[in-house]
Amino acid sequence: MMKNYSFIRVIGAFALIVSMLSCYNGFAQEEEATEPVKERPARPAFESGLLFDAATTTIQSAKTLEMIIQHRFGTMDNGASDLFGIWAPSNIRLGMNFSILNNLMVGIGTTKYNKMQDIQIKYNILQQTRSNKIPVTVSVYEVIGIDGSADDKFGVNYKFTNRFNYHTQVIISRRFNDMFSLQLAPAFTHYNSIDSTLDHDRISISFAGRIKFSPQSSVIIGGDFPLQIQGISEHTKEYNDNATMMKPNICIGYEVSTSTHAFHLYLASAQGILPQENIMFNRNDFFDKGILIGLNITRLWSF
Amino acid sequence: MKNSVKLVAIFGIAVLYMTINIAMIQKPGGPWDIPAKYKTMKSTIKAGDASINTTGKELYNKHCKSCHGAKGLGDGPKAANLKTSTGDFSAKKFQDQSDGEIYYQSFIGRDEMPNFEKKITDEADRWAVIYFMRTMKK
Repeated sequence: MMKNYSFIRVIGAFALIVSMLSCYNGFAQEEEATEPVKERPARPAFESGLLFDAATTTIQSAKTLEMIIQHRFGTMDNGASDLFGIWAPSNIRLGMNFSILNNLMVGIGTTKYNKMQDIQIKYNILQQTRSNKIPVTVSVYEVIGIDGSADDKFGVNYKFTNRFNYHTQVIISRRFNDMFSLQLAPAFTHYNSIDSTLDHDRISISFAGRIKFSPQSSVIIGGDFPLQIQGISEHTKEYNDNATMMKPNICIGYEVSTSTHAFHLYLASAQGILPQENIMFNRNDFFDKGILIGLNITRLWSF
Repeated sequence: MKNSVKLVAIFGIAVLYMTINIAMIQKPGGPWDIPAKYKTMKSTIKAGDASINTTGKELYNKHCKSCHGAKGLGDGPKAANLKTSTGDFSAKKFQDQSDGEIYYQSFIGRDEMPNFEKKITDEADRWAVIYFMRTMKK
């Protein structure tokens, strides 16, 4: 049941980082001919380090603690009988992020589904500048999940490492102007232990965007798209062609941001909260009765 | 007899409520003790900079408006919960201060006025907020 793909995972993450750094060198060379400009970092592309269940490139100032409450109700397909999912079983995550440096954040959290504990780290390797010498912010983001379910979920040859799952992501964002920001985030997800009908590894691509329509309010949109790549699949093409594909997690909502808070109220399809859960297991179709209501609240304390 | 007890009780509660309210009336914050280096501090942006009505306005609305109000009159929704009056940014007394004095009060803060150095990290953005507050002058 258990299969170790950490080598492939490391290679995948390394290749993504190298490609990002190559892009940076390319950008830098183009600007060498222009006059030197005193570089100022651009303002963050997003108000919070969190957008729906996804990470953004935003990292709060050093020594800032961010408390996160994430909540997803059940799907709305039962209509008024369970008040459009509000009375249905819901998923909740409580998390704490701490910015060690202006470009380094660590976090911990606990999620209701699968009693998942998580450790997160996010590091900004590039910061967009106002002069556009560096046109994008690039973050590397890792989420390590530890499934707290009963031992028998992991088969007869139980080992503690079976509980681990990993989500490695490179996030590239750009604040185009005060109103519009966009980010793209390829990712590699690995579960040490997973049902034999599924693959241990999956590559995905995520995007997120923000359109600010008032000083504190924005329309936010996001999507996580799991990719079925035969080259990394453990199953035959014939099997995969007949298997039920995992569905993209599509989110659209409203964000209000204040000095110390960010609030998100949104519609989403996946009920997981950690990104690896949504990429690996989401079967809810946003366009076919798979919509649910979600909300996030963040609170900042500076030290 | 019962009615007169009720009346006395209501009167007593009303007096108590008014006493508490009087005790909670906001007081002016008193003079600021501003270090000399801030008093003479110079802005890194020029008056009329394009960022004043974009970045300055946006950051003011995000970080300041909830207490100080949209026009700086001190009538934001959170102002009523403060012990100290937030002052009036449109008044001559406020506007007559040097840019550096406003900088210290706005970003270093004291007591109920929080420090905003970590919320608004860019120096030029801070000056954009100060110059936006200058536009509130009557």
